[in-house]
Amino acid sequence: MPPGLDNLRHIVVLMMENRSFDHMLGSLTAVNPQIDGVTNQLGNPDTTGALVKPQPLAQFQGQLDPDPDHHFPAVDLQIFGGDTSPNRMANMQGFVKSYFNQQKDVGHSQKIMYYFAQNQLPVLTTLALEFAVFNRWFASIPGPTICNRAFAHYGTSFGRVDMNLLYVNEPFKSIYDRLINATPKHTSKLYYYDTASSTMEITNLLQNQPELFGTYQQFLDDSKTGNLPDYSFVEPNYSDHDSDDGEEVASDQHPDHNVQAGELFIASVYQAIKQNANLWQSTALLVVYDEHGGIYDHVVPPACTPDQFQASPNDTGIGMPFAFDRLGVRVPAILISPWIPKGTIVNRVFDHASIPGTLTKFFLGDYSPRSPRETSADVFIEPNVAPVNPARNLLSLDIMRTDCPDFDV
Amino acid sequence: MALIHVPRPENAWNPNRAVNALLKSQVLQLHEAELKLPVRQQTDIYINAIKTEGEAAGYVRQVTEAIHAAHQTAAAKQARSRVKRTSKVRTKKKMTRKRGRTPR
Repeated sequence: MPPGLDNLRHIVVLMMENRSFDHMLGSLTAVNPQIDGVTNQLGNPDTTGALVKPQPLAQFQGQLDPDPDHHFPAVDLQIFGGDTSPNRMANMQGFVKSYFNQQKDVGHSQKIMYYFAQNQLPVLTTLALEFAVFNRWFASIPGPTICNRAFAHYGTSFGRVDMNLLYVNEPFKSIYDRLINATPKHTSKLYYYDTASSTMEITNLLQNQPELFGTYQQFLDDSKTGNLPDYSFVEPNYSDHDSDDGEEVASDQHPDHNVQAGELFIASVYQAIKQNANLWQSTALLVVYDEHGGIYDHVVPPACTPDQFQASPNDTGIGMPFAFDRLGVRVPAILISPWIPKGTIVNRVFDHASIPGTLTKFFLGDYSPRSPRETSADVFIEPNVAPVNPARNLLSLDIMRTDCPDFDV
Repeated sequence: MALIHVPRPENAWNPNRAVNALLKSQVLQLHEAELKLPVRQQTDIYINAIKTEGEAAGYVRQVTEAIHAAHQTAAAKQARSRVKRTSKVRTKKKMTRKRGRTPR
């Protein structure tokens, strides 16, 4: 068996907020043309008809205000450019028009096309170049945070496309439940930043199973002592607030929170794992974003296996139902492990259902019931069962790397 | 490989920033959860008056900690109740053996 899989004991997922692939990693096409980011051929029309090209002019804070609309109707406009006909084709031409709707300012609306230069994001871009970057990781639905995060926890959003309360209404257990109730038992934990930031999954998980949760300080302690569970889901800080330790700056990178604070947080998670040599060799860390936040990306989201739910025209707000048969906009996703060759680029299609899908197959093997979307989702870590397909295994090195970067956190 | 410098954000902290849609949704979810808590553990906070991130964080903290506390209290009560039931059963069996009666 490949030693990377043989040694793997812990999987950690850090899910950030509301930034698209082109916005955060688009600059890397200039470094490596195999990374599908920004080129000179891209653009969106503004409301005067002028073509607005992506430019490396993104700012850490204060630029994307108001928060770009990322609810279902706005994302529909972004993807289909305003075409509402029955046989419409996605063209990714509606981002500037969508942002214009919020402030009716032509100049301001063009900023939705801005992306970060490589040197502005030393952490994310270094990780993308050093480990495995996914060219085709999409949000699970073309809509907002709560439903997309639900796919990461349950493999479905139970028919929801909005930010309303989301109740589990089908027997699809959370990945945490599956792991802790398995035989043999596995361990899992959601680490929120602190109690003032808390979690975004309250209705079902925090309310009913608060014992599943810990704080980010506990994550750091558990990493140091080697007591990380088999699966950890880490949430960034969602707000600027006071704490017993002083001022806490939001680190989720949700507009209009400071992007550099998020870079620090990502580096902190990475270093916490790397600083424990035993943990480093036995852990895979996935850094991923929940959805694109209304910000430009050029890749058309593909169709996917329909989930067994349907959102009504009333729920979608676009006068048409939605069968969960199309993915959301592309987001940054990077898999990190010292067993991954430098410069790995993954072109297979993934979405957040791949998270419970991967964890279930790796730790539990066969398991049901699972949602149709999760059952059909690709996995980013191959099950450690012979034969392992070498073309699919990302943790493919025979000898662990010793040249992985360190960040000064 | 050289240590990569990560710049610290400057002047980023602003708890008076207007609460965003995500935080509003989180507050609503927590309010729903709060209503199911024992009354003595509910906050006195009117969520419609929450306008800033700092205010939202204050509410989020209180309710999150209350949910944890409520579950811990309930678990402790259940544990005490199990100990009581077990010791009652043991006492009954002991008494029955002493009197030489066949237990029911």
